[in-house]
Amino acid sequence: MSRAARYAVPDIPDSKLYRSFETIVGGYWTKAAYRSWRRRKPLGRIDRDLRVRVSRVDEEGVDVRAIWFESEDGVDLPPWDPGAHVDVVLPSGRLRQYSLNSDPDDLSRYRISVRRIEPAAGGGGGSFEAHHLGVGDRLVLKGPRNAFPFVDSPAGYLFVAGGIGITPILPMLRDVVRRGVPYEFVYTGRSRDTMPFLDELAEIVGDHEIHLWPDDERGLPDVEKIISLAPEGAALYCCGPMPMIDAIRAQIPAPRIDTLHYERFSPPPVLGGSPFRVRLEESGLEVEVGSTESALTAVRRVRPAQAYSCQQGFCGTCRVPVLAGEVEHRDHALADYEREGHMILCVSRAKGTVVIDG
Amino acid sequence: MIKPSIPSIPIRPRAKSSRGHEPAKVALHPRNVKFDWSRLPLVWIPGEVFASHYVSVLHLLLPEGERWFVKVFSEILPLIEDDQLREDVIGFIGQEGVHAAAHQEVQDYFTSNGLDVRPFTAEIEALFRKILGDRDLTGRAKEEWLIERAAIIAGLEHLTAVLGNWVLNSPELDAAGADETMLDLLRWHGAEEVEHRNVAYDVFQHVDGRYLRRVRTYLLGGSALLVLWWRGVGYLMANDPTEPDPEQRPRPGFLKLLDAERRGLVPGAVRIGWATWKYFLPGYDPAKEGSTAQAVSYLAKSPAALRADALAEAQ
Repeated sequence: MSRAARYAVPDIPDSKLYRSFETIVGGYWTKAAYRSWRRRKPLGRIDRDLRVRVSRVDEEGVDVRAIWFESEDGVDLPPWDPGAHVDVVLPSGRLRQYSLNSDPDDLSRYRISVRRIEPAAGGGGGSFEAHHLGVGDRLVLKGPRNAFPFVDSPAGYLFVAGGIGITPILPMLRDVVRRGVPYEFVYTGRSRDTMPFLDELAEIVGDHEIHLWPDDERGLPDVEKIISLAPEGAALYCCGPMPMIDAIRAQIPAPRIDTLHYERFSPPPVLGGSPFRVRLEESGLEVEVGSTESALTAVRRVRPAQAYSCQQGFCGTCRVPVLAGEVEHRDHALADYEREGHMILCVSRAKGTVVIDG
Repeated sequence: MIKPSIPSIPIRPRAKSSRGHEPAKVALHPRNVKFDWSRLPLVWIPGEVFASHYVSVLHLLLPEGERWFVKVFSEILPLIEDDQLREDVIGFIGQEGVHAAAHQEVQDYFTSNGLDVRPFTAEIEALFRKILGDRDLTGRAKEEWLIERAAIIAGLEHLTAVLGNWVLNSPELDAAGADETMLDLLRWHGAEEVEHRNVAYDVFQHVDGRYLRRVRTYLLGGSALLVLWWRGVGYLMANDPTEPDPEQRPRPGFLKLLDAERRGLVPGAVRIGWATWKYFLPGYDPAKEGSTAQAVSYLAKSPAALRADALAEAQ
């Protein structure tokens, strides 16, 4: 395949305005920028690792452990809001994200909860490792950050948690109870003994009636019924297994629900992929893309500066020019006429070897 | 006047009672969106030719401008030695990329519905890709020009946050019967601008942060933006075929701008002047421009975002 015809950038217009833009940028601006190096402070590494040790481990029902951390030097940990998570660097170097579920007003310690997922059931081994943590173990946390921000909703809230999805919801419940805002809470799970924090919940909500719906007592949850419980104009916060979230999303827009918030998940797994190779034309480097990883992951091994963002094939940041090879496009970012000669690394795949620019 | 610049992401003090109202640190991620433009009128605020086109200029400037943001920030990423900021920048880049594509759709719609914007956008493309491109610089000059452009982006992002905050709080547009899909595009975009309003400024603080550079880049970048904005309004009004006779087509005017701003239909000279003043204050803090909670709430109900979710589901 020959190099796809390159699109030519238009010339600088021959008008007074654009000629003066060019004069200012070429004659003054780039030079002023150059002179700025002189007293610019050197770039320095900013270390944001939180060094902590495990201070306590609680069993919370079948297969769930709540793990408490304190900072090694005894000072307060950074503040966080309900919905926030931390990255936990496990002893093997694996990085896993877990929601914080302690009390945000107590910064002397953080708590996360981990359900053990058998590798046979698709677990990546992170939860096994977390379950092996013992009191006194030292490790590094990164964050906290919030991908599930909890915002004010004077009309009230409907919280829906499935199983271990209770973790980010717990601090939210604490907060609404404290603020006295109307809310309803539906908690589902396979059976009561697989639903963690039932005692703590009773303590948080007091007399308020919550809806505990284990499958073995009530059958599979009825999403329409869940949504009908919402206070009028509520914000719906939902965390749990993907099928549950999908079922709820399918019911939105709904008249009682003003906004829908759900925890976003990491990039979807690669489905039906077969291995191929990527060659980087300029450097001559070649990488093998495994059947379960993306071309982006592979290219970043040899070119760490490769730009990317959404990792789901729609933002277009990781688009690269393709010089040769047969690409199987799986993105939503390229227009049809761009498909010849470009590739979105995070989702698209190829047969054999694909040669990209760079 | 030099602002202390480390740490680049200050932990902002917060009263306990404010919890649930303003989340402190939101992890940024791009959102997929889908807009249906098939029924968009060129004058999308009924009866308001000037105000519609004054805002529509954004569709001409933003796609190329935001692709330029993506390029500059992708290049500056290796200079960032702060994992949290790096993550913010990755989220920022993705959001800007989706914004560019969304506004590009409106551009294409205009062109295929009788308002050919290509001559104007070709000029904008030359500006961002050639005049403000790499300019074949090398070594230190190349790095400083990269940092200079990141500083320009910090200034422009201040303005986009101001515009975003305005459009999230503009009930006058609803009252005037503005096209709902267009309002959703502007508010979805505005909400993400408010959501990521710290990022470009934090990058600038991380790589340089000096007051002089902040002022220089804002004055030059902001002036260019204003000139192009006004040219764009003129271009759209002169080429809008809604009035078939080119001689009869209305022209932009400063009084029209003041009037439209007074009626709350556009962010005009007063708002942009005030925003400029705030950016020049030594204690400028991007977090004060708008509310993350309001932005997050809008994003949780934007029809375009919900529709894209549903479409992704169906695939």
